Amino acid sequence: MYALIWRLLPGPFAAKLAGAVLLIAAVLALLFFVVFPWVEPRLPFNDVTAS
Amino acid sequence: MRGGSDDETVVLPAAVEAPGRPVAGPAAGRASDETVALRVTGQASDETVALRIAGKASDETVALRVADQASDETVVLPAGGGTPDRPLSRPGPRHRREPTKQSTADGVRVVLGLTGELLITMGLVVLLFVVYEVFVTDWMSAGKQRDATTTLDQQWSDPVVAPADPGNERTEKFHPGDGEGFAKLYIPAFGSDFVFTVLEGTTERILESGPGHYRGTAFPGEPGNFAVAGHRVGKGAPFNDLDLLQSCDALVVETQQNWAVYRVLPMREEVAGWATGRGTDPRCAGVRPLGGRYTGVVGRKIVLPSQSGVIAPIPDRPDLALDSVPPADRAALITLTTCHPRFSAAKRLVLHGVFVKGYPKDPANPDARPPELTEG
Repeated sequence: MYALIWRLLPGPFAAKLAGAVLLIAAVLALLFFVVFPWVEPRLPFNDVTAS
Repeated sequence: MRGGSDDETVVLPAAVEAPGRPVAGPAAGRASDETVALRVTGQASDETVALRIAGKASDETVALRVADQASDETVVLPAGGGTPDRPLSRPGPRHRREPTKQSTADGVRVVLGLTGELLITMGLVVLLFVVYEVFVTDWMSAGKQRDATTTLDQQWSDPVVAPADPGNERTEKFHPGDGEGFAKLYIPAFGSDFVFTVLEGTTERILESGPGHYRGTAFPGEPGNFAVAGHRVGKGAPFNDLDLLQSCDALVVETQQNWAVYRVLPMREEVAGWATGRGTDPRCAGVRPLGGRYTGVVGRKIVLPSQSGVIAPIPDRPDLALDSVPPADRAALITLTTCHPRFSAAKRLVLHGVFVKGYPKDPANPDARPPELTEG
């Protein structure tokens, strides 16, 4: 899977590396700002109230 | 290895032992360790070409690197050594040796590789989630807390909403809206920079901005139970170190017109010998184990999340209304709740404190702060 992505990135090695870094940053941003905030209230990890 | 559309060149490092061994193909006759180039008619599709090389007398495998036309992967084929009498057989146009085993093995390899990559990726995502919970939410919540503090500061410095009768804590009225900040909590034992704006309400969203005040419980300085919830890990983690507080440590609450100083109540094991033990500490002036209806209310305890009685006006006695206690005996308490153990939401850590002293804010001296703030 990762080999396929690497192959699909255009350009010489340096360009591929830059593209890979960009992709990783995009995935991280997606996770931290969209996926995890959505998932988190649905998990029981963070209740601090007595009810 | 890239060849023509229908021709593949195959480069083999082949150890040719004896000069007499017949090696078919254009390189027939080479007698030493040289690469032997063979022209092999390839196919239009990505079939691997299996070759058998005449090698030594024993079953030596000769490693070949055959370029697969479809991808850039090299496929290593073990080639069984033949006997001296079996020449190199040149494969024909669609010739394959053991095709079923090879493509099955390839398929298995691809599936296993993909599964492995997926599992590792999922593991990384879980790891990233932990990083998110512990670090990223801290960063996000710091911004929200800063906004809440700024809003509150602006509100307090606005002369239009200045109260008619400042300084009398009995008459300070609180009507914060949902999610609105109305007080600041200082814990000097955690450092002089430890201050959090307390907001009204305890929903998840509100707690992301800072400690939240349980709706319906008392306000600072009032008789009853001023109960506040805060996160232990992540989201700014205001109550991370509540387990480090000791009896008589100050919990100072600032409101628009007053400073209210609470102190942590004696711990369970300190109650018995309080008068002669910990109670003699000068910091503990005004702090003593509570009696009467409040018997059993101690500085810190661990409870189940369902035990909501800890935030009742008389802790652990939710059945009792504050009116059932004569006004002179009513205590003004503070209760802080958070998760326990540190990284779990299995139980709650509950801290109780009692009101000890109040300082009305003097408009003529707006920067005056209570001495308890520098206790450390």
